[in-house]
Amino acid sequence: MAEHSSIHGVVADFDSPDTLLDAVRAARAKGYTKMEAYTPFPIHGIDEAMGAKQSILGYIVLCGSATGLTTAILLQWWTGSIAYPLVISGKPLFAFEFGFPIMFELTVLLSAFAAVFGMLGLNGLPRLNHPIFNYSGVAGSSDDRFLLVIEASDKKFDANETKDFLATLGAEKLEVIEA
Amino acid sequence: MADLAFDPKAVEQLSPPLVTGQPSLHDVTEAVSIHTEIETHRNWYIALAISGSVTLLLGSMLAYLIATGIGVWGNNNPVGWGWDITNFVFWIGIGHAGTLISAILFLFRQKWRTSINRFAEAMTLFAVACAGIYPLVHVGRPWRAYWLFPIPNADLAMWQNFRSPLLWDVFAVSTYATVSALFWYVGLIPDIAIIRDRAKTQLRHTIYGIASLGWRGSATHWKNYEKAYMILAGLSTPLVLSVHTIVSFDFAVSIIPGWHTTIFPPYFVAGAIFSGFAMVITLMVIARWVFKVEHLVTMTHLENMNKVILATGTIVGYAYATEFFIAWYSGNEYERFTFINRAMGPYAWAYWSMVSCNVISPQFFWFKKLRTNIPFMFVLSIFVNIGMWFERFVIIATSLHRDFLPSSWGYFRPTIVDILTFFGTFGLFITLFVFFTRFLPIIAVSEVKGMMIQTEHEKHYLPATTTGSTEPVKAH
Amino acid sequence: MSKHHHHDVPKDSYEIPTSTWEKGRNIIVAVFILGWVAALAGYSLDHKQFFPSYLVAFFFGAGIAIGAALFTMIQHLTGSAWSVPLRRLMENIMMSMPILALLFLPVAFGLHELYEWSHPGIMKTDALLAKKEAYLNPTAFYIRAVVYFVIWSFWAWRLSSWSRAQDTSKDLNLTFKSERISAPGMLLFFLSASLASVDWVMSLQPHWYSTIFGVYCLAGGMWAFFAILTFTLLRFRANGILANSVTVEHYHDMGKWMFALTVFWAYIAFSQYMLIWYANLPEETSFFMVRRSGTWETVSGILLFGHFAATFLFLLARASKRNLNVLRFVTVWILCMHYIDVYWLVMPNFSKAGVAPHWMDAACFVAVMSTLALGFWWRLKSAPIVAVGDPRLEKGLEFQNV
Repeated sequence: MAEHSSIHGVVADFDSPDTLLDAVRAARAKGYTKMEAYTPFPIHGIDEAMGAKQSILGYIVLCGSATGLTTAILLQWWTGSIAYPLVISGKPLFAFEFGFPIMFELTVLLSAFAAVFGMLGLNGLPRLNHPIFNYSGVAGSSDDRFLLVIEASDKKFDANETKDFLATLGAEKLEVIEA
Repeated sequence: MADLAFDPKAVEQLSPPLVTGQPSLHDVTEAVSIHTEIETHRNWYIALAISGSVTLLLGSMLAYLIATGIGVWGNNNPVGWGWDITNFVFWIGIGHAGTLISAILFLFRQKWRTSINRFAEAMTLFAVACAGIYPLVHVGRPWRAYWLFPIPNADLAMWQNFRSPLLWDVFAVSTYATVSALFWYVGLIPDIAIIRDRAKTQLRHTIYGIASLGWRGSATHWKNYEKAYMILAGLSTPLVLSVHTIVSFDFAVSIIPGWHTTIFPPYFVAGAIFSGFAMVITLMVIARWVFKVEHLVTMTHLENMNKVILATGTIVGYAYATEFFIAWYSGNEYERFTFINRAMGPYAWAYWSMVSCNVISPQFFWFKKLRTNIPFMFVLSIFVNIGMWFERFVIIATSLHRDFLPSSWGYFRPTIVDILTFFGTFGLFITLFVFFTRFLPIIAVSEVKGMMIQTEHEKHYLPATTTGSTEPVKAH
Repeated sequence: MSKHHHHDVPKDSYEIPTSTWEKGRNIIVAVFILGWVAALAGYSLDHKQFFPSYLVAFFFGAGIAIGAALFTMIQHLTGSAWSVPLRRLMENIMMSMPILALLFLPVAFGLHELYEWSHPGIMKTDALLAKKEAYLNPTAFYIRAVVYFVIWSFWAWRLSSWSRAQDTSKDLNLTFKSERISAPGMLLFFLSASLASVDWVMSLQPHWYSTIFGVYCLAGGMWAFFAILTFTLLRFRANGILANSVTVEHYHDMGKWMFALTVFWAYIAFSQYMLIWYANLPEETSFFMVRRSGTWETVSGILLFGHFAATFLFLLARASKRNLNVLRFVTVWILCMHYIDVYWLVMPNFSKAGVAPHWMDAACFVAVMSTLALGFWWRLKSAPIVAVGDPRLEKGLEFQNV
């Protein structure tokens, strides 16, 4: 378990996505499980390499869609045929023919809300402070550097040992970061 | 395949470069962020002063209108829908290219979209803002505009008419504006984080830090982010089609000859994309030069957009031809009259302006020489926008100025307020751009970098034995 | 980057083993003979039933070939790589065009049975139809049909023969030439196929008109084309043909296209229906009146729920687009739905009282489709089943969805 409660982990700084991917695979092979990569753009194949699960965002969005659709049907049906029934241009009080456009729009609107806020929720954003920002070279991770952090919560974690291990993987810079 | 000696020029033609000059990842960050960081240039203030004054003109016209009544527009004649609806549809249409580039081209894995999508999405938002002014003001009492939404309220004591396509429009346009803004912002988050990380002052660091919501680009972040982006693209694609479809319903559900025709929905969508791409060309030609990003927004991008203009212009031509053919084929006297009247009646000048700008002018883009000629495409893109404005005007004015009752025949003339209001919306549009280009990255940096790496990986599939320029992307 | 595992994948043979090919040929020839014997027997028994049944089958086949041609040209225009391993099969489907010209002869022959407007008497007495005589008359109809088939066959032949020439010459210029003729080709196909839909199907009800009708037919045809292409590939795969070249990534993309076209068709169908429903003009509603009465209403419901809603749900999830068993079912489903769609367009003009399925519908379908299949099967033998000379082939084989 984590002996160093004030340590977040060890960061290794790589210069290309390929060396980062190799390092992730090597760390996994070594038995590390608690790790996180920080990159300027999404790296194809890193989720498989890290053993991360698929995003569940799709299901959240599905709930948003269902809510939007139901709301639109109920809204149009209830206002048109219950709350304020009025025959206009010989059309029925409610019909799917004319109800469809708004059914579609509300479905899309609530799905989009679910997608954006679901994504932020799953990512734990907004969150303005995070231990990774304690790393002296963190700015590079949005520019052209590729970071791998092995976290202190990992069972196998040992600040020195982990650091030595990461050094063998071609990291150009290594640093222990505070929690 | 390695034994085949391909002509290097041909290979380049197979897979034209989307980034030229072999910049490193850091160079790209630099090129895109720098304009938000340097000291404000004198020219920026000049641009703001000009566009700002035009926006003020818009504001004063709207104030005059609200104080006086919408009769100050030239709507007091049989063409009850005059320039206001024309301009509304015009601006909404402009916006569509942004969504198309960001969503549809994304789903089709068209990599060339990455350098231009941010800019085009901003254009969508600003164009929708301009469009929104018209229905808002046209209600006469804009402070009552919330009556358009199904909000229970005592003063109205009744509900909206969901059978009216105008109400569908309210939902479509507000959904479109909201989703476009979300999509745009989601795309911006990682790029704002870049500017945060480069901030030299605490103030900048805080502002951009809050705006980026604390984005850290972790693998988990990217995983959910990419999924969200994909879903938003999947949602925006039918959404953008629905918006102009519903705009076309405003006309097509009626029984007015020239408006009621079943091809209107896809025809309006194609026209919207057509005009939107033309506007992207107009703006991009200027922006890539001003901000010195010619190596990121390359000739390939411009040429591809011109190809889309050619394709959608031709679809629009197809729709004109179909309308004419079916009007004749229908045997319906009113339909036939409407279309003959369009081409030969009092608005023939507008009709033929439309046809020349929309159908004839894009045909020049069959020639590669012209597709890749910057001054030419600039001029042509303006022609297309003029043509698309005329399209809406022709549809609206020609069908209304000849009512079923000859006593209601008339001719629409815009007032000076009409003209200055429309002129003013351009001021608003440009002003928003002026702010956008000052404070936000105008190119989707993270996406461009990802695309550069991906392209690098794909290179070995191409018969690149003779290109010579196979140096890998340098990371720093 | 060094981590690409593409060199480990075993290479497929791009030829169909002779024994498989001969087996396939024997089956198709048997079905072909059976179909035509039945169809001809049907014709001699009841030619009033034969022609409508035949028109449904013919329009079904023509839509697929046009869809193949349009998609092949789109691929050339966009310089797409993922579809290159499948393109030869598309070309082989597209090359149905000359055969379709022959298969059109029964339609031409049955003009008076099919088209009310072909009787001069009616054209004289009906005031509305009299105005359409310049377009709706037998001579113009025949001339237009010839023009359509010339355009379609010429483009199909050019694209297909250049692609085959490239197999051996590897000439890159053929790629650019194909790209160049695809642009005007798209335009001509769109115009001619729209007019053909007006001629062959819309004019069955000569008073009725809809500007979107051509797009409606094109959307359905393209949809069915993807289904038949995917279905064929899955059959090939079951027999070990192209099993390594066409991967789940390619199937995923075809699934996306089928999904997109499901939605596009629904969009077009809804636009047409809603605008006519809303405006409620008698000369337009006549089309839907008959299709919303009696048993035809059930068929309309099948289209709404089967053609659109069910297919939409089948293909919505990423997992189902990557599941070959799901796809195999969906392709068959789509082909059935498209048949019902064409049937729904044509048949209400002949049996207004209600749906009246007839064995001749099946006979004509088998006759037409087996003829096209026969042509397709022979073309499989005359060239590799993959465009081996295409410069984008390698990239297309390695393609992955990200």
